[in-house]
Amino acid sequence: MYEKEKGLVDAFRRGQLSRRGLIKSLGALGVSAGTAGVLVNMVSTQAMAADFDWMKHKGKSVKLLLNKHPYADAMIANLENFKKLTGIDVTYDIFPEDVYFDKVTAALSSRSSEYDAFMTGAYMTWTYGPAGWITDLNEWINDSDKTSPTYDWDDMLPGVRASCAWNGKPGGALGSDDAKQWCIPWGYEQNNLAYNASMFDKIGAQAPTNMGEMVEVAAKAQKDLDGVYGIGVRGSRSWATIHPGFLSGYANFEEKDLNIADDGKLSAAMNTDGSKAFHADWVKMIQDSGASDWSSHTWYQVGTDLGAGKSAMIYDADILGYFMNGGDNAMAGELAFAPFAANPDAESPTPNIWIWSLAMSNFSKDKDAAWYFMQWASGPEHGLFGAAEMDFVNPVRKSVWESDVFVDRLNSGYPGYVEMHDLSAPGASIKFTAQPLFFDLTTEWASSLQKMVANEVPVDEGLDQLAESVNRQLKDAGLG
Amino acid sequence: MRDKRGPHVMNHTSPIERILRGAALTIVVLFFMFPIFWILLMSVQTNETILRSPPSMVFTPTLQNYQALITGRLETQAGSLDIEFMQNLWNSVILSVGSVALALVLGVPAAYAFARHKFRGSEDIAFTLLSFRFAPPLLVLLPLTMYFQELGLADTYVGLIWVYQLICLPLILWIVRGYFEDISPDVEHAYRIAGHSWLSTFRKIALPLAGPGIAAAGLLAFIFAWNNFIFALVLASADKQPVTVGALNFITASGIQYGQIAAAVIMSIAPTLALALYAQRYLVEGLSLGAVKG
Repeated sequence: MYEKEKGLVDAFRRGQLSRRGLIKSLGALGVSAGTAGVLVNMVSTQAMAADFDWMKHKGKSVKLLLNKHPYADAMIANLENFKKLTGIDVTYDIFPEDVYFDKVTAALSSRSSEYDAFMTGAYMTWTYGPAGWITDLNEWINDSDKTSPTYDWDDMLPGVRASCAWNGKPGGALGSDDAKQWCIPWGYEQNNLAYNASMFDKIGAQAPTNMGEMVEVAAKAQKDLDGVYGIGVRGSRSWATIHPGFLSGYANFEEKDLNIADDGKLSAAMNTDGSKAFHADWVKMIQDSGASDWSSHTWYQVGTDLGAGKSAMIYDADILGYFMNGGDNAMAGELAFAPFAANPDAESPTPNIWIWSLAMSNFSKDKDAAWYFMQWASGPEHGLFGAAEMDFVNPVRKSVWESDVFVDRLNSGYPGYVEMHDLSAPGASIKFTAQPLFFDLTTEWASSLQKMVANEVPVDEGLDQLAESVNRQLKDAGLG
Repeated sequence: MRDKRGPHVMNHTSPIERILRGAALTIVVLFFMFPIFWILLMSVQTNETILRSPPSMVFTPTLQNYQALITGRLETQAGSLDIEFMQNLWNSVILSVGSVALALVLGVPAAYAFARHKFRGSEDIAFTLLSFRFAPPLLVLLPLTMYFQELGLADTYVGLIWVYQLICLPLILWIVRGYFEDISPDVEHAYRIAGHSWLSTFRKIALPLAGPGIAAAGLLAFIFAWNNFIFALVLASADKQPVTVGALNFITASGIQYGQIAAAVIMSIAPTLALALYAQRYLVEGLSLGAVKG
């Protein structure tokens, strides 16, 4: 390395120069942004090694189970640095998302020791944790012999971190003092608005700011734009229909899925007056301005239609809009983002969140080595690399959101994204009640919604029937 | 011109009836072939043209989807994507050919034994083997995973081919058994009287006569094995997955690669389609003859 470059990198390592300053200065010396990024990441990795015995598990190996996802791609792109830093070999199996959780469940329920760590959603840990399949990670996080001083656990966004911790008691608050940290947040999604800015310009519409406006704007887009439907939301008979925009809007009206009595018993809360009013609006919006095949729409159809210019907006995961605004999508570069508080009286949005996380298998043969990988992969250095160079978005660390490189990148290509995130982040958390029947009850909720949209049952009656069924199942399971 | 008198009158069809029948057949063929035709069209388009609204049949064909699958790398504006599809295809070939071959070696002599030699418990054993087809795979997969780990068979081709016998063996055994029963034992007896051994009778007389039935059963077993999804998913690593699992890799969080999915579908049905066309004769003959015998 030349003297000037070396001086700059050393200054960065000593903390005298910011990451952004370093990349700019290297740029002035003719080093390309990509190379500078790699260089900075390499130096960061070397800097990490100075404070902690990363080589403690040298020669061991760790096997991961991963979902085919941009987060996994970002990790794999940076994996050589981990291997160099620790001397630990890492192998991995990647499975398509459609079958990924079947593979995870099969591996865990058969007590397979093949995989040491794996990707999961926080909701899934409500099943895996009580079954004894995954490890409470507090033991590792709080052990200074096992966790690097630069890991900075408090750097994680509080709502996201708390959403990955549960005490295992049905109805127990996420992130409570007695909660077990079943998984480590890796990347997460808030649910907000992504809309086609050029379509909105064409019809003279503004991004809606509450539920009433959303119903109106969606109907206007449907009416004024040829071959385009107003709003994309999910509709398949799956828990995944409830958790994005639907629950985010629902929670903004302070409505809940379940009530928790003083004695800890759970009961359905979907048939309150407030809930019925929200459901009625939602159902009408889909009937008037949703996709004609809404009841089969999952993440993929909602995103693909926005990217292909078949829908005017979506109320779904922010990163779904992010992905559709790039790549070879027809509408790449046309999309914009806005925070969305469904309740006109609410101060800010309260998005429900999905968190791709890392969990440790309880059947791992070497948990300490697995933890080395997990802390590196969820650490600030890799987080910044992934967010700045790859599509490791949304980051779960405050420090990454404060990074100029990352924020500049978003601001230049994704208008409104950063403001949307920052405004929503304080209210972002999992809005479901943690309990073991989560998947059954939420799937039934989606099924009821389908019947209401198809006019098979009126909203009031449908919700009363749903509540009755939910209460019965809770009682049968000894939870209600 | 057909003679309209005599017994031929019975077979007479009026021109209108013939036209209607032809039209009905055309509609049925179009109905069933259209999805395959549409997939073929999709496989030579880019994602952008596939997703046009409204869909159109006017486009510039491209072989980039096939090229990406074969070379293992797809270059798009969004960057490059590694594709393991050829490995998936190869895995399907190994698993299907291997399991059908093993099932034939084990199943054909067993079918012969069940057809020719009524021994104590023979029906029970045959039925037990058939009952493997009744059990939902998930019921047996978890215990199997645990055993396989103990035995070191997890994540091996040998282990998977063994498990695939749950699909292939009962099918071959029951179809071929019916076929052996269809052949008159007198032919074999005559050959035995001429001084030939039992093994030689089986090889020289029974096997050739049951040939079409064995071919049909083998082909059916191959199709079932090729279409299997769950066994390899649960029991093996990503590098041993068949096309049925591999094709899902094109559905990603950041978008669905419709063009590659269509090309993958075409490439993955090609071997079974070729085999089925080649053995069509045996398939119909073998199945119908084997089936009518009680």
